[in-house]
Amino acid sequence: MPRYGMFIDATKCVGCHACRVACQNQNELPVKENFNRIEEREYGRFPDFNREFLPVQCQHCDNPPCLKVCPTGATYKRKDGVVLVDEKKCVGCKYCMVACPYSVRVISEEHGIVEKCRLCIEMVEKGEQPACVTTCMTRVRTFGDLSDPASEVSKKIGKYRAKTLRADLNTKPSLYYRKA
Amino acid sequence: MDRALVDMKSPVNFRMTRRGFLKMAGAGLTAATLGNTLLDFATWEKEVQAAPIEMIPTQCNGCGNRCGIFAYVKNERIWKIEGNPEANGNLGLICPKGHGYVHELYNPQRLKGPLKRVGNQFEPISWEQAYQEISQKINMILLENGPQSLFWVNYPQSNNLYALRLMHALGCPNYFTHGSTCYTARNAGWRMTVGELPSNDLGNARYILIIGRNPAGGIDLAEVKKIVEAKEKGAKVVVVDPRHSETAILADEWLPIKPGTDLALLLSMIHVMIREELYDKEFVKEKTVGFQELEDETVYYPPEWAEKICEIPASTIVRITREIAQTKPKGLLHRGYHGAFGSQYLNSFQTARALAIANSLLGNINREGGIYFPKSAKLGELQPKHPAPDLPTIPKGDGTGTLGRYPVGSYGDGITHAIPELALRGELKAGFVYHNNPLRTNPNPKRVIAGYKKLDLLVVIDTVLSETASIAHYVLPESFYLERTEAIDTKHSGKRAQVSIQQQVVKPLYNTRPGTQIIIELAKHLGVEKYFKFNIEEANRIRLEPFGVTLEELKKKGFLFVGEEWKEGLPQLGTPSGKVEIYSKALEDMGFSPLPRWEEPLVSPDSKDPHSFRLLHGKQAIHTHAMTANQPYLMEISRYYDMVRLWLNSERGRRLGIKDGDEVEVESNIGKGRIRVRLTDGIHPSAVWLPSGYGIYSRNLKHAFGVGLSYNDFVPTLFDPTVGHAMTSEVIVKVRKA
Repeated sequence: MPRYGMFIDATKCVGCHACRVACQNQNELPVKENFNRIEEREYGRFPDFNREFLPVQCQHCDNPPCLKVCPTGATYKRKDGVVLVDEKKCVGCKYCMVACPYSVRVISEEHGIVEKCRLCIEMVEKGEQPACVTTCMTRVRTFGDLSDPASEVSKKIGKYRAKTLRADLNTKPSLYYRKA
Repeated sequence: MDRALVDMKSPVNFRMTRRGFLKMAGAGLTAATLGNTLLDFATWEKEVQAAPIEMIPTQCNGCGNRCGIFAYVKNERIWKIEGNPEANGNLGLICPKGHGYVHELYNPQRLKGPLKRVGNQFEPISWEQAYQEISQKINMILLENGPQSLFWVNYPQSNNLYALRLMHALGCPNYFTHGSTCYTARNAGWRMTVGELPSNDLGNARYILIIGRNPAGGIDLAEVKKIVEAKEKGAKVVVVDPRHSETAILADEWLPIKPGTDLALLLSMIHVMIREELYDKEFVKEKTVGFQELEDETVYYPPEWAEKICEIPASTIVRITREIAQTKPKGLLHRGYHGAFGSQYLNSFQTARALAIANSLLGNINREGGIYFPKSAKLGELQPKHPAPDLPTIPKGDGTGTLGRYPVGSYGDGITHAIPELALRGELKAGFVYHNNPLRTNPNPKRVIAGYKKLDLLVVIDTVLSETASIAHYVLPESFYLERTEAIDTKHSGKRAQVSIQQQVVKPLYNTRPGTQIIIELAKHLGVEKYFKFNIEEANRIRLEPFGVTLEELKKKGFLFVGEEWKEGLPQLGTPSGKVEIYSKALEDMGFSPLPRWEEPLVSPDSKDPHSFRLLHGKQAIHTHAMTANQPYLMEISRYYDMVRLWLNSERGRRLGIKDGDEVEVESNIGKGRIRVRLTDGIHPSAVWLPSGYGIYSRNLKHAFGVGLSYNDFVPTLFDPTVGHAMTSEVIVKVRKA
């Protein structure tokens, strides 16, 4: 059984937002709803200056806080680690949006339910890669099977000693970051 | 937690069903296909899911790169696009503009049929009436004023061949691109030095020095991919830019140069290369002319001198020169595009010359990992089957290619921002603007509006009512790019040439026509149909003949490699001497400096005035010129991340009492505006930087109207005396807290 995850090389992100719009198209999202947020930070004083973009999306936690608070069981975790929302069970109460420490869940105005990154699971099951991965000109994201030590994603996580976001929260994300 | 751990099952992406259903039902497009099942979601869901998804190769129109894409069509609607991995220019990647621009197809503000100005209003008319009236007026103007009174301006694309043919058929030389506001100084510098504009072999380079160019912002997907790959293989990347650009994020080193002084940096790098004998002696001896004169000239430009001008430490200049020379010939100075020396400064042409010469000293011309001449497909000629009109015998009205005017200027591009001046002088009377919006993209809009409004006839071919379309006498609506087939494209040059095609993916939604069809139909009404006895299908077949590939193959793949692989080595160059012209006798004969010499920018900020700054501009990855600001998917990113702000150096801002997010008033000698600031250490203290793409003032573009500012509102009308480019960074503004 694979466990899907990503290595995200934030040192390569130039903040172009191609991932955001590719994802919106893939998932047919309206203008104001999206699953990819990019945070920008500046470091240093002129001329010794740098900045970094940090792409944030659903971290597909192994211990997802959103799942625990869901009153209807709409949020579920698959055996491959992908966290999804069953839109037939979701009542749009937004508890999960409050519980998510990464603020990556969005309410669908049209459907009154909560949505988020689904790791493009239909594409993955066909052997393809998520839309945010393939569109990226600097190849920020590497998608793959975390349980396979020989996978590209596992190797990169090891090579760069990539860390999860807010490891202190014990959410155990499946997305690993390399930061400056 | 266990309750939620369910078995693996493929979840249906419900958005592709329910949302699509509502969209189509709402748009009333389903009546015919759904019949009695209208609003019966369950039945519809089954039908929709069963509907095949078609994947059609074509080319994106989100900017001028025309990337290779696959358009996914389901139930006659565009779903998404993916990158074509074969395409030289994008290698399977797509930028945000490409993804976002797809939605323009369904933008309700699109033009839905031909329009005619009646007083202050537009009235819908038929294509036939539009063609007849336009042709009658043009023929009258040609009769009274001759062919020199007519012009055509467009953003470069493959259809241009037919626009050029039409102008030539009418005896008119006045064909323009947007080049003089973008890249003509760079092109001229390279052309006068090595004979043509080369490309960068970034993927194989071991040292990449980028001056002013920002391929991660003014997006070039393949370039960025190759820069990242080169870095992973150990290459060093250095970015010289007054602003910490998006490319600087990828670099090992950012050198924030004082804007307008890149020439000083290059001259002192050349000085160091010669003084320390770091250059490729064999290459210089065999393949260049004028090295001795260069040595004599650059003796005046030691790094200590340059440091005072460009504010990069002398020790840094020496270090990077030694570093890049160590990697020669696999070290390169990026050939540049718009930024720094495309069309910015009085010294841009000589900056481009110095950059070309610095590369030559590294011996990297047409070498792997250096500067190379890409392979570009040479299309088949329509003649003799369809004879071409004679070339016009009268000179171009803007003076490009004319001794005593702009002899180094590009005749092919023309000086686009001269059009309003020529109109104001009564020399131009009528014109066509195609896929271009000079009222927003040329400097000094008040003057541009006055010029274009003085025309007796202005015809605009566009997909929306842009600023320029809004003042036209006639507006001819072009089909959206996903609705039309265009002329065979050769844009994707590279290590091996490619031909490509932008082809129709969906049926036109409105009463619109493809640009090539409009040109051919105009020709027929203008009485020059003998040069246009073909349609685009036939023309495309003839164009492909030299390559031994069929139109059917091309349509199936989108992109095809043609011709031979690029090889290393320097052939006879297209310069008068056939060699790299370090010293240019041709320039000397025209009365210009035969060697790059230091020259100051035309204007500089007042160092004693705390309010005085140079105004810089540049692209963000999410916008192209003035054409994407009205696209909600892209503009929402600008809004959410507050990207329309003016960049201002933190220390300078603090001294003016300006805080991050404060509104300021920006004023030049021709314009004034208000904008909020982004206070940052990522910009040189002497400059402020405005992102381009905003400041839309056409009320017909509702999403973009009134958001942000355009640098063009502050830039006076200027013509560089050598090339004629617009010198769009030769502008000083005063910034005050509003």
